[in-house]
Amino acid sequence: MSTAVTALTASGRLRIVVALARRGLNEVLRVPGASIPGVLAPTIFLLGISSVFGAAAKLPGFTADDFKTFVVPVGMLQGAAFAGAATGVNLARDIERGWFDRLLLVPAPRLTLLAGLVSSGALRSLLPSVVVFAAGLALGVHFPGVLGTLLAFLLVMGLSTCLACYATTLALHFRTQQAAPLMQMGGFIAVLFTPAYAPADLLAGWMHAIAVVNPVTYVLQGVRQGFVGPVTWSGTWPALAAIAAMLVVLAALAARGMRQTGR
Amino acid sequence: MAAIETERLSRRFKGGLTAVDAIDLSVEAGEVYGFLGPNGAGKTTTVRMLVTLLRPTGGRAMVAGHDVARDPDAVRRRIGVALQEAALDGLMTGRELVELQATLHGIAPSAVRTRGQDLLERVGLVEAQDRRVATYSGGMKRRLDLALALIHEPAVLFLDEPTTGLDPVSRMTLWEEVRRLKDRGTTVFLTTQYLEEADRLADRLGIISQGRIVAEGTPAALKAEIGHPHLELAFAGDAPDLDAAATVMAAFGPPEVLRELEKVRVPLPDGAASIAAVVRALDEKGLGVAALELVEPTLDDVFAAKTGRHLEGA
Repeated sequence: MSTAVTALTASGRLRIVVALARRGLNEVLRVPGASIPGVLAPTIFLLGISSVFGAAAKLPGFTADDFKTFVVPVGMLQGAAFAGAATGVNLARDIERGWFDRLLLVPAPRLTLLAGLVSSGALRSLLPSVVVFAAGLALGVHFPGVLGTLLAFLLVMGLSTCLACYATTLALHFRTQQAAPLMQMGGFIAVLFTPAYAPADLLAGWMHAIAVVNPVTYVLQGVRQGFVGPVTWSGTWPALAAIAAMLVVLAALAARGMRQTGR
Repeated sequence: MAAIETERLSRRFKGGLTAVDAIDLSVEAGEVYGFLGPNGAGKTTTVRMLVTLLRPTGGRAMVAGHDVARDPDAVRRRIGVALQEAALDGLMTGRELVELQATLHGIAPSAVRTRGQDLLERVGLVEAQDRRVATYSGGMKRRLDLALALIHEPAVLFLDEPTTGLDPVSRMTLWEEVRRLKDRGTTVFLTTQYLEEADRLADRLGIISQGRIVAEGTPAALKAEIGHPHLELAFAGDAPDLDAAATVMAAFGPPEVLRELEKVRVPLPDGAASIAAVVRALDEKGLGVAALELVEPTLDDVFAAKTGRHLEGA
């Protein structure tokens, strides 16, 4: 006796994505302590660096009046990086414990499973970025407006998705949580090598050269728009294009990793 | 059509290890097939290939009418799998896990809850369904794992060492469920290193050693293949004449004198039916029997005969 199970419909695939994203959020909702490092680190970094380098905003050529306002978007992106890396670390844990095998036995396209895994990273990124955003507002950071706020969180989630794909690729390759530092390092470096703490024109030559080709620079500038200056289309589309380009490349690598599992 | 069929199925890992070496299997629909072998024999590698988790490097395998390498999704739609370690998310409740599994298998939202409840009831976990899985005992986790494997009513069920580490009661419960599944027509591919489990549950057995199938058949046929039951006798008195007893017993088969044990052994092709005649013949010669035991060949004897090693304690 058996029931013939037919191929999944589009709505069935969407339900899988939602179900996996919900499962990914369990750690945030049921083990709140597990989220503390990812929330505290960018918040403390924001407070610390604002205190130490706050006077940098008075330098000639600095594009913001207030250093805290200038670096709040950096903290939000760091939160996205932590959440993205956590997606990979959790996948590595699932691989080690055998849960991932259960997932691979599902008759769904690998891309659907990947979308479910990384979308939890996008949702998780909201927790640290909201905390950083709120901490910034409490410290007197300029409110970026409704549009600026929505755009900032959209880009944060986009970057987190990209970095979740990156971390997922590493998790599928190394199949161990011991690769966690590598997963975290990617996002940390990607955010660091941007005009994170000073406008591009004030960066050292080599740093400036890296920042110009680093797509995260354009994401940061997109997030920063409402905080420093108005939100414009000319400042928005490069950020969206950068997210799209990173997503295409990193999702392709992660999808390749999914397909190669078991070969 | 066979539910599972392999032709020279092989898996060679990087580094040169051949875990599965050109095995041919055929499992009929509705059959419980026991796959027996010690740790490292190739059981799990074989199962992982059959369930599409590992790509074969040679040969081919058809499961539920579909090629595992060419059409893995079609295979996945028709199989249920409970792997060696019950990999469950301890943060979720039993009910959440069953419903997640139903969603992952594309079961319509309207049917997810009903199907989940039916299965939780079947495996006796209704009362514990809203507890986090981390609080479940080993037996409860295994039963939940089985429920997850059955959520889409698979035609072929793979159970990879399902009772390892379970207490006797949990083991018996799982055996009962396997029998029920067989009665419903589900094909069960069961790997185990427990001989009793294989003997009791399997319609047919395959014995794997070092990546090769060394024996296949029904448990009874395999045991008959390696020999008949034999009778072991101990005699009354402080210094029984074992040679005299052996001479009498030679009428029934070639006797073997076990001097250290002070026993004589003789094969009995007719089994228990010949015991009375043996005892009567000895009695007529004044050789009183103090104790006797009819020893049937075991699957361990089969394994030893086929591989030169014993499976029990392996």
